[in-house]
Amino acid sequence: MNDRKLKQLFAAARKETASVPSEDFAVSVLRAIRREPPAAAPAAISLFDLLNLWFPRIALAASAVIVLCLAADWGLTVAGVPGLSDGVSQLSAQWLLTPTGL
Amino acid sequence: MSDDAELLERIRGGATDDFAEIVRRHQSRVFAILHRYERDGHKVEDLAQETFVKAWRALGQFDGRAPFEHWLSRIAARVALDHLRREKRRQNEIGLPELGDDALDWLRSDDEKDELNALGAAELLELAMRELSPADRVVITMQELESRSVKEIAGAIGASGVAVRVRAMRARAKLRRALEKIAKEKL
Repeated sequence: MNDRKLKQLFAAARKETASVPSEDFAVSVLRAIRREPPAAAPAAISLFDLLNLWFPRIALAASAVIVLCLAADWGLTVAGVPGLSDGVSQLSAQWLLTPTGL
Repeated sequence: MSDDAELLERIRGGATDDFAEIVRRHQSRVFAILHRYERDGHKVEDLAQETFVKAWRALGQFDGRAPFEHWLSRIAARVALDHLRREKRRQNEIGLPELGDDALDWLRSDDEKDELNALGAAELLELAMRELSPADRVVITMQELESRSVKEIAGAIGASGVAVRVRAMRARAKLRRALEKIAKEKL
């Protein structure tokens, strides 16, 4: 069976006419559709589902905040301005560790 | 007369009866697709009904980016694939279709001028395609008989374009071998 003969076979088969739908085919489809059960109402969303849904976004936002803080700290250090860690130490020294502190 | 998009909008709004108009518009195409996989007219009608009911159920997923006809054709191809899988499982219970002498003579003839009629060609292909897997059969049918693009076939069977090309090449080789086997066996 060569390629040419196979193509000839496909070409001949392509000409075959399909069976014709009966006159009331559309009506019978409608009847079948009406027998279909109504679509189920969506289930209530639980807290767990919400967490599942939001987890990737929350993780991404947290990573972005961490990266921003690190970048700001590095930027301040390079510019000669006291870094964030210096500010935190200063705050602890001035407020938290004094007898009148928090 | 309103186009498909308007009709579908009305149907989504609750006008169920308008779906009958959608069926009337597209039934010929759906029957033509399914007839390539099933020759029994009653079964084709059942499969066509299954196609439209599935389309009805999934109407909310139709986004209107492609024509409705393409979306419906894809559903019909999937219904055909499921049907072939079911039939494959009980293939031993079904007798082989009879082949006419014309088809056999044509198959054995070396004369390239010999022509085969459409019915004979379809019966011969039906018999040979029983050697193929359901997915192979859908690929070959869509490519060779319906002239569909690789992208359309990939969408219908849920495979990549490369997988469709490879499958089509292997299926054609299998089909050729099956036809040669028929020519020898029916002597």
